[in-house]
Amino acid sequence: MKLFTKYNRINVFATVGIFLLASVAFYFLLRYIIIDQVDQDLRIEENEIETSVKTFHKLPAIIPVHDQYTTFTEISLPSLRKKEFATLKKYVEHEHEDILVRQIAFDINVESQWYHVTVSKSLEGTEDLIQSIIVITICTILLILVVTLLINRIVLKRLWQPFYDTLKRIGDFKLGSKQQLDFSTTNIEEFDLMNGTLRQSIGKAEQDYLLLREFTENASHELQTPLAIIRSKLDLLIQDENLSQQQSDAVQGAYDAIQRLTRINQSLLLLAKIENRQFAETVSIDLKEIIEQKLKQLHELWQSRQITVSDNLQKANIFINPMLADILFNNLLGNAIKHNIENGSIDIKTSQGYFEIKNTGQSQSLDPARLFSRFYKSNTSAENHGLGLSIIKQIWEVSGCVIEYSFEAENMHSFIIRW
Amino acid sequence: MKLLIIEDEKALSNSISEYLNTENFKCGTAYDFNTAMEKIALYDYACIILDITLPGGSGLDILKELKKNNKADAVLIISAKNSLDDKVHGLKAGADDYLTKPFHLPELGARVAAIIRRKSFDGKNTIVFEDLTLDLFDKTVKVHNKVIDLTRKEYDLLLYFISNKNRVISKGAIAEHLWGDDMDIADNYDFIYTHIKNLRKKLVQAGSPDYIRSVYGMGYKLSLPH
Repeated sequence: MKLFTKYNRINVFATVGIFLLASVAFYFLLRYIIIDQVDQDLRIEENEIETSVKTFHKLPAIIPVHDQYTTFTEISLPSLRKKEFATLKKYVEHEHEDILVRQIAFDINVESQWYHVTVSKSLEGTEDLIQSIIVITICTILLILVVTLLINRIVLKRLWQPFYDTLKRIGDFKLGSKQQLDFSTTNIEEFDLMNGTLRQSIGKAEQDYLLLREFTENASHELQTPLAIIRSKLDLLIQDENLSQQQSDAVQGAYDAIQRLTRINQSLLLLAKIENRQFAETVSIDLKEIIEQKLKQLHELWQSRQITVSDNLQKANIFINPMLADILFNNLLGNAIKHNIENGSIDIKTSQGYFEIKNTGQSQSLDPARLFSRFYKSNTSAENHGLGLSIIKQIWEVSGCVIEYSFEAENMHSFIIRW
Repeated sequence: MKLLIIEDEKALSNSISEYLNTENFKCGTAYDFNTAMEKIALYDYACIILDITLPGGSGLDILKELKKNNKADAVLIISAKNSLDDKVHGLKAGADDYLTKPFHLPELGARVAAIIRRKSFDGKNTIVFEDLTLDLFDKTVKVHNKVIDLTRKEYDLLLYFISNKNRVISKGAIAEHLWGDDMDIADNYDFIYTHIKNLRKKLVQAGSPDYIRSVYGMGYKLSLPH
């Protein structure tokens, strides 16, 4: 729900409530005042009749007055102890219908003859007045509501515009792109405060990001150079052909260790770079093409272990950074070969939005919870640095794909990527 | 021919010059930016091996200086920065090749040899080693004017050996040259053994002496048979 929708909802309920309460109160007050006025008129009529009786000792003649009806009825004994007011429906002859009247009733003695007197005044006009007032009130409420809504919609939209501008700018902003964040200045204190805070924290994040990147590069430089030195010294050492077999074995051991160290270092750097979103550029890549190419490249490796590769490749386009795509499928295919068994099999399927690679391997499932964590090793093979799947995970996270691992009967391991 | 190694790590610089120093190549060294600028102003080199991060300045500025003065020196960048941007920058600035640390010295040797061949093209497209003639354009090998049918990998291997003749090349260096990063998957050197065995067999069958021999199982070396 939008902030101003919520605000409007509360506002509308409150306004309607207050207006309704006010209308009801207004109605009753108005009615009370009008009836009070009519009662006063009726009392004056009563006084006139009584004065007339006192002065002339007879009932006054009934003068037909518009909206006022007087009746005298002879009665034997007075039935009313005092005068009575009532609001009732009464049949009026010249209107030929029942109309709402206010009536005063009293008994009067004229020359020892009791009369029951009623004087009624029509309330029809009053009712009309009250109804008109109610209609006007309701119309006013509706009008005010509509106008308020419209004003809110237009004014609030305009008032919030700087907020949406800021959001858009932040959405478009990419860390590490070195672009300047220009928030337009508003003359609203809150927005300027927000923009200022955002500018400050994004500036800080940008600075940290650049520092991290610098650190990555420095770490790279600092480690690669000693590695290069060790490797070059070994390359020189083996030029001496008078090494004993024992010394040669030692050198070979050192070579292998340097090789592993180099790979771990490169993998860690690659992870840091992917995490830092340094491979942000994406293009549409045909998976079929890239997999066919990889299978050709790795041909020798799987053939030497008598692994059968079957594939069902259909055209499948994926938006991904080309370097990351290369690494991703290199790792997936590489793992399928490396963790395979003699005379095993690899099965690859692709279709739009779907890639599956299945291979034979060890006969128990990998731990799905820890599979993609760094330095996870299913077996204690020293050759394996356990970063390959972490790299795959990082790549799919930045590329917006989903990867699933499942273990099928006996020794089938399968990885499925969807995007 | 003279080479200049601009590298601030003395240990690495010494390794490179020791490996590349032969009767053909004489290596000079510069350990910092200013010395390097002096040397490139004074002498002409067949190839300059250039590190990017140097005390006193950037290797890229040295490269720009060379290009500004229209020097014909070939440049091979060796850098610890394994990022695509740096590679692109370096090659755009006019470097002939780019190698990321840590590299194998034979790989560096092969790259330097290739760059120099390209620069001093002088109309011929072939490398001759004893009775072997390699056609770089067609990627074919002839022995006594007879073409030997080599696979792509065998041809690459032979060229790599000839570029590093009389040097022992470790199996790791061979693996990385032939397969690049994919070799991580193989975990063993059986493939190298198979390729080298086939190459030697084909050369001997064509009537050439067996130039390649194994050194203690650590590596291989191409040289004239004793």
